[in-house]
Amino acid sequence: MTAGRSKGWPAVRRQGRKWLQIAAYIAPAVVLYAVFIIVPVVQAIHYSFYSWNGLEPLTDFVGLGNYREAFGDPAFRQAMQHNGILVALSLGLQLPLALGVALLVNRPMRGRSLFRLIFFVPYVLSEAITAIVFLQILQPDGLVDQTLKSVGLGGIVQLWLADLGLVFYTLFVVITWKYIGFAIILFLAGLQGIPQELNEAAAIDGATSWTTLRYITVPLLGPTIRIWAFLAIIGSIQLFDLVWIMTLGGPAGASSTMATYMVDQGVNSLRLGYATSVAVILFSICFVFSILYQIFVLRRDVAGGTSRMAG
Amino acid sequence: METAGVRRGPFSNAPTYVIAIALAVVVIVPIAYVVLSGFRTTGQIAADPVALPHPWVTHNYTKVIASGGFWRQVGNSAIVAAIATILVVGVSALAAYPLARFQFRGREAIYTFFTFGLLFPIAVAALPLYLLLRQLHLDESLLGVALPEAAFGIPITVIILRPFMRAVPVELEDAAAIDGCTSFGFFWRVLLPLTRPALLTVIILSVITSWNNFILPLLVLTDPSHWTLPLGAANYSTEHSADTAGVLAFTTLSIIPALVFFLFAERRIVGGLSGAVKG
Amino acid sequence: MKRWTLIAVATGVVACAAVLGVSSAGLAAPSGTKSKKAVTLVWWHNANQGAGKALWDQVAKEFHAAHPDVTVKPVPFQNEVLQNTRIPIALASNKPPDVFQNWGGGSLVDQVKANKVQDLTKYVKPWIKTIGGSAAGWQVNGKQYAIPYSVGVVGFWYNKELFAKAGITSTPKTWPQLIAAINKLKAADITPIAVGGKDRWPDAFYWDYLATKLCSKTTMQQSAVTYNFKDPCWLKAGVYVQQLLNLKPFQDGFLATPAQQGATSSAGLVANGKAAMELQGHWNPGVMQPLTPDNKIPGFLGWFPFPNVPGSKALPGSLLGGGDGFSCSWKAPMPACAQFLAYVDSPSVQRRIGSTSFGLPVRKGTESSVTDPNLKAVLAARSGSPFIQLYLDIAFSRAIGQALDNATADQFAGKATPAQVVAKIAAAAKKK
Repeated sequence: MTAGRSKGWPAVRRQGRKWLQIAAYIAPAVVLYAVFIIVPVVQAIHYSFYSWNGLEPLTDFVGLGNYREAFGDPAFRQAMQHNGILVALSLGLQLPLALGVALLVNRPMRGRSLFRLIFFVPYVLSEAITAIVFLQILQPDGLVDQTLKSVGLGGIVQLWLADLGLVFYTLFVVITWKYIGFAIILFLAGLQGIPQELNEAAAIDGATSWTTLRYITVPLLGPTIRIWAFLAIIGSIQLFDLVWIMTLGGPAGASSTMATYMVDQGVNSLRLGYATSVAVILFSICFVFSILYQIFVLRRDVAGGTSRMAG
Repeated sequence: METAGVRRGPFSNAPTYVIAIALAVVVIVPIAYVVLSGFRTTGQIAADPVALPHPWVTHNYTKVIASGGFWRQVGNSAIVAAIATILVVGVSALAAYPLARFQFRGREAIYTFFTFGLLFPIAVAALPLYLLLRQLHLDESLLGVALPEAAFGIPITVIILRPFMRAVPVELEDAAAIDGCTSFGFFWRVLLPLTRPALLTVIILSVITSWNNFILPLLVLTDPSHWTLPLGAANYSTEHSADTAGVLAFTTLSIIPALVFFLFAERRIVGGLSGAVKG
Repeated sequence: MKRWTLIAVATGVVACAAVLGVSSAGLAAPSGTKSKKAVTLVWWHNANQGAGKALWDQVAKEFHAAHPDVTVKPVPFQNEVLQNTRIPIALASNKPPDVFQNWGGGSLVDQVKANKVQDLTKYVKPWIKTIGGSAAGWQVNGKQYAIPYSVGVVGFWYNKELFAKAGITSTPKTWPQLIAAINKLKAADITPIAVGGKDRWPDAFYWDYLATKLCSKTTMQQSAVTYNFKDPCWLKAGVYVQQLLNLKPFQDGFLATPAQQGATSSAGLVANGKAAMELQGHWNPGVMQPLTPDNKIPGFLGWFPFPNVPGSKALPGSLLGGGDGFSCSWKAPMPACAQFLAYVDSPSVQRRIGSTSFGLPVRKGTESSVTDPNLKAVLAARSGSPFIQLYLDIAFSRAIGQALDNATADQFAGKATPAQVVAKIAAAAKKK
């Protein structure tokens, strides 16, 4: 039998059979995916053109009315702003922090595995549990306040969850607590893929730590960073569980996200048509971002990969 | 995997340990606080929120462990996680195989099609999904929770499995072909065993995600005897809201299964994620 | 051929899933099975703890003993989960419970419009007069669609000892007197009022009450029908609320305080002597009880009705209130369901509702069952009031009621002026 150099099965097979084979492998996943994801989403888009309270049949067609209302609602715009700030903070604060810790922990040290384990634990907890835990320790005069007071920082104690200007950033700290370990582990794995010889060669050529960092380490970490950024941005846009349980998006919408706004409209106000239109907007934002990101940012990573593997 | 990029430079080792330990403390303390508070009474917590248990009160934990409801919820969560995981890993491995190793038109399009699933938070699809489940008579059933969970898990599973499957050398395929192996035979007997690290990773991720899933069981399961653990925890915290200590004990116990599972599997997750990222 | 095996396996997996799904659905608890004689009533209620839960379990048993062909299955839920999630979803499905909690108001109107509840008028005609004016809150277009079993009024629950400490000798009867009392408490370094800002509806109580005390009875009654807020009394309500807010009478961080959950909730603060008063409904003692270290209703607890506003169009003694009731879903077996509701309003059950302090009975003649002195005061106020307005976020349809809660919460957070509060509610009404 001729063994081809290409990735596919020997070219001897007829094209038709190959398609049938491929279809057979992919079909179960496609069926499951289509039934439980695609169909509901399409239905959601359908509902979004109606005003519907879930009790009566779907009769009140409003066309794009829900969408116009959403973009005109200052509360929704505020929620969108919050998501935007979250994206910026994730990239601007979490990324350097995780990178810094990863670089430090990457040095020869005892117990690295143990640290890796500990850093990753918050990721394993559900957002709901995380919310319950932090609700408890952020109480006025709770663990956080008392700890600050005991080290003499009592002056900076605030109403972490009640202060309108502060609550959103408090939530950001909680989110960072939960997800920073994931970033650190990812970057650690990426760092360990950088061959030692490169650093040694650079050192021989007289490069300082900073130069090595800037011209070798970070660029080689590029793919890892880009994938993490993708997941972080999508996660920031979709954030729900944690905010809902801790603050319900309040007080007065000070910590709302698009997802909490959507659930509030759908569940509390029973405006289901309107809520699904917000859901469609949320998804569309993710979709557009995802496409643009794949085209402009990820493409060169994937392209390089495929050609290496195709041989 | 442990080859470190050793760097010389102005950093000495002490700051590394200091920062690593500081971060570990920040990570652990909130969890430790909740665990320890379960050993105090609500009155003690109300009087002085931050203190070590003194004396150590065990009835909060024993009350939860002794309640049949808690174990039934653990059982329900386990069943759902098992079904969802077997399904998602099964169908995703099958689908990832041609996406990784076959050359055909539309391959990248199908792959991208699957990755779109990452873009839907389950809250977006929750209501129409519930109505669909009702039409299929799957509401109030554990299967009605497991099937959508499996579906939502397909994207990340395919994303992780594909590069690992791709990494298996062509020579092995050729050798298998020479030995008269069909494509499925190669898949079953050679490829899957070789991608075991990735398979373990996705199994673990699927179990953890399913275990922590809240909003879908909330909508689908009304009968308390069908509840999964997150539902039970949320209900406990509202039903016994006055009993802060009890709530914290319940919360702690809810964490344990996922945590134990993770501790056994931590290496696999990291290995799998890093492999996926490079691929 | 291995390939065909693969296809067969794949089909088999999907087929198995479908079969499992159908059969496990069959294993799920069916509701309201109708056979010739035996009937089951699935009963969704919100008493998921304490005396109420025990009472309802007992009532289910007693009804079955009296009607052997009817089995009642009580299913308790936490109140907000029941109201916001469970009931709406169940009513949208075709497997609703037979008997379910009903708070009347705009949601009941929506349910009636969608044919989700049965008309009980002809079944309850023989005895409906025995619950007097309370029945009106659960009627739509003059027909009875649900039956209340406990109706109360909102008022100030206060700490007599803290009031004495601040030198307040008698409870406020007018708005200026209330302001004076608040100032006295502040001077004595006592938190005057606890409020559960995180839940938003406690904020709305203040706005609702000032509207009730400032607007004429007709204006209030029309509001849930016409949703017209042009009467200047609505704006005035917000102005008075602002006057209260400017005093800063609440506990620190009130915007994030829950109303009923945990010792640091607003109810918990009052129960533990950390705040002097709270504007809440008749359920508050029951809520406070488990929040105290010794699990008892505080001895220092007193009650006084919301003070009147001098020079207003409203009838003095107008109160804000509401209650709980039950209705029969469109799939409930009749007359079994109606008979069960009649039993819940029977003298025996109503007396026990009063004596356990679970609620305030509606049946005439059972008032003496209430022994708690504070609840007696609430009951007396209810009976003696010329006009009781249903809480506005219940009286209005769901979406508008939520907009009201959000608007008042915004005002409490300093994010909305009195005029903006009215504007937001009016805007929400237009969307309907």
